[in-house]
Amino acid sequence: MDFSIVGAAIGEALTLSSFIGIGGGVLLGYIIGVIPGLSRSVAIAIAIPLTFYMTPYIAISFLIGLSKGTAAGSAVSAILLNAPGEASSAATSLDGYPMAKQGKPKTALQIGLIASVAGDILATIILIFVAIPFARVALLFGPYEMAAILAFALVFIAGLSGGNLFKGLAAGGLGILLGTIGLDNQTGLPRMTFGFPELMEGMPLIAVAIGTLALSEMFVQSERLRKERATMAVKLEHRPDDHITWPILRMITPTILRGTGIGTFVGALPGLGPSVGSFMSYGMAQKASKTPEKFGKGEPRGIAAAESADNAVIPAALIPLFGLGIPGNVSAALLIGAFAIHGITVGPLLLRDEPELLYSIFAGMIVASFIMLALGWFGLMVFAQITRVPAHVVIPIVIFFCLAGMMLQGYGAFGLIILIAFAALGFLMKKYDYSFVTFLVAFIITPMLELNLRQSIILSRGDWMILLNRPIALFFIFCTLVALAMLAYRTVTVGKPAAPAPARGQTETTAHQERVTKETNP
Amino acid sequence: MKKLLLASASVMLMAAPMGAAHADTWPERPLTMVIGFAPGGSTDIQGRVLANVMEEYLGQPVNVVNQPGGGAAVAYTRLANNTDEGYTFLFGGLTALTFTPIITEVEYEIDDFEYLAALAVGQNALVTSAEQPFQTFDEIIEYGKENPMTYAQQTPLDEAIIRRVAEIEGLDLAIVPTGGGGGMAPLVLGKEVDFAYSGGTHAQYTPTGEMVVAAFLSAERSPFYPDTPTLMELGYDYSIEDYRSIVVPAGIPDEAKERLIAAAEFASTNEDFRAITEDNTFFPVVFMGQDEMEENVRRIRAATEEVMAN
Repeated sequence: MDFSIVGAAIGEALTLSSFIGIGGGVLLGYIIGVIPGLSRSVAIAIAIPLTFYMTPYIAISFLIGLSKGTAAGSAVSAILLNAPGEASSAATSLDGYPMAKQGKPKTALQIGLIASVAGDILATIILIFVAIPFARVALLFGPYEMAAILAFALVFIAGLSGGNLFKGLAAGGLGILLGTIGLDNQTGLPRMTFGFPELMEGMPLIAVAIGTLALSEMFVQSERLRKERATMAVKLEHRPDDHITWPILRMITPTILRGTGIGTFVGALPGLGPSVGSFMSYGMAQKASKTPEKFGKGEPRGIAAAESADNAVIPAALIPLFGLGIPGNVSAALLIGAFAIHGITVGPLLLRDEPELLYSIFAGMIVASFIMLALGWFGLMVFAQITRVPAHVVIPIVIFFCLAGMMLQGYGAFGLIILIAFAALGFLMKKYDYSFVTFLVAFIITPMLELNLRQSIILSRGDWMILLNRPIALFFIFCTLVALAMLAYRTVTVGKPAAPAPARGQTETTAHQERVTKETNP
Repeated sequence: MKKLLLASASVMLMAAPMGAAHADTWPERPLTMVIGFAPGGSTDIQGRVLANVMEEYLGQPVNVVNQPGGGAAVAYTRLANNTDEGYTFLFGGLTALTFTPIITEVEYEIDDFEYLAALAVGQNALVTSAEQPFQTFDEIIEYGKENPMTYAQQTPLDEAIIRRVAEIEGLDLAIVPTGGGGGMAPLVLGKEVDFAYSGGTHAQYTPTGEMVVAAFLSAERSPFYPDTPTLMELGYDYSIEDYRSIVVPAGIPDEAKERLIAAAEFASTNEDFRAITEDNTFFPVVFMGQDEMEENVRRIRAATEEVMAN
């Protein structure tokens, strides 16, 4: 590493114009993240034309700032409105919303912000110092390993939702079924597209995610509003004890470190994406906890686990991008395009040919993290003002943004119909206690699992023995079997009625917590 | 939001000095360029630069709209029903017309469109890792006669061609699907597969020496790899041909057609468009007019039908 280059690179990252570029990106991303319905990939796609008129370095830093901002911002709506803008923030709302309901919205937001920024900075440091030289390690994860990891993620995350095993299977099965829609990726023949060319590339993920997560929640809350005429959003009161404390910070530190590790691992493997990262981290935190029953009821470690992993995935997805030229997820793929527009080919050559640019980008990423911390910390109250707005104003606005966000995807009226259909599905799932988390995770994982499993079977020519040369795959197959056995054991011993469910219809808050608890706890 | 962004982008562009002042009346309002793929791919990158260049020539903003789905089949379906009189046009490859209708039902046909101009030649390469014991196509065949081999496909068309070659040469070949170019790269670089199809992704890996192009499936050699032969030259009578073209719904006014063709010809000589297309994505820039393209698209369709029928 040539330190004069690094010095010059840091110098460039600290100029006023770069501060404005990065700060603008983070701010725009944060706002887009706060608005349910507008997602990270939409934000990057619509911002790319703006970067035509920037220098390459500012343009890239702006876009990276934008993706970091969306990840942190989407925690706000997840915590305050229970309407996560992205699938990866759904894990944050599991504990964030109950905590906010308990009168500690500011604490929840602060935990989310600190976990976001910490996960982000740590993963960026790993990216800079460790990962790029070792990016080729990702190539050890071939189809066999990926299939095993995905199978593990599916069983492990689906198992988290607990509750009634058969309802869980129904939700997961529906996710798998819908995940197989689209052109068969080998023969090119359409599967369950019913003549709609829009379905050829599968059920649009954004429509399914926004529909089941954010829009359906608005339906749930409208129904509650009609019944109770209460303010739905959390009142951000100035309770004297509503702020993060040292004991909380100490308690969540190990969780953040674990979450960052999981997020970095998941991000560095092309294809897995932030949702797998945040739910894995949430699940691991719950399993590691001495008091797992507190998860889903406003547990600080739940928020910290989800947010740290969600944010760590973003820098980590750049590991295969810069090290191998392979995009780790959709947003990273969009960055390749943005680089190309500025005449830069992303990949291992970047380090050799333009090290200064690369180190400037790294320095810019660290700057972006601190801007995010400052912006998030002082803007907390401002962003949270949405919660003072009465529900009958908030609900239509959120619905509008969900629909508008879908229109930006370019699917036209078809996209809106799909979105509303999934919102209805999500509403019914929430109402009748089917886990929408299991459904969504199964939907997201199925296409990747199918492709990798298929590749493994074909490449091995059906010979199981090949796994003996694949210790990593064997390890994850073992983990999958253990997770399955534990699920089965739990079902048998705990008995059929999922949890000693208290009678419904107490106060609105506890009824809701009950639902969230069942979502996450056995 | 998007409108606002586009509007601000257009304002910035209109403030920029125009390349040439035209007396022509068409176009009188902003145009829309449809890209049949998600943002970030090579079609999108080339298209966005092309839009800027056409804007410069036509004196009206050209807004890029992505309509992903079905390998551009969604975009062509919508374009077939478009009544925008040439104000909406598509930029992209022609496989949704020359290939997709053969294997699946679509709601458009070749005659629903007019093919105004081709601007870049599609790339179809067979690639392998630089670390493999075989580097040329002959070496692959030789190795394959002794050992079972694996191949990563991206479309049923390249799979069909490679199957024929494997039959001719008596190879024991297992063929796996990939999730597009991004999914192909780790399989080849990690040596999970022996060789693979690449529709342009290889441009990122051959300069680093990680990947080599063993042969081209295209009808002609690539100027960027002058020493690499085509499958036709190697004695196999198969090729895949594609052109990144400007396509409009059939029957738009002549004036609109003429102006779009002129703008495309202008772009083919424009430095920015050439730089992005040739230097960054390794697609040779060409200019072919409407007559040639109308013939090409029908000829390629017939040839593809023949390959797929066997």
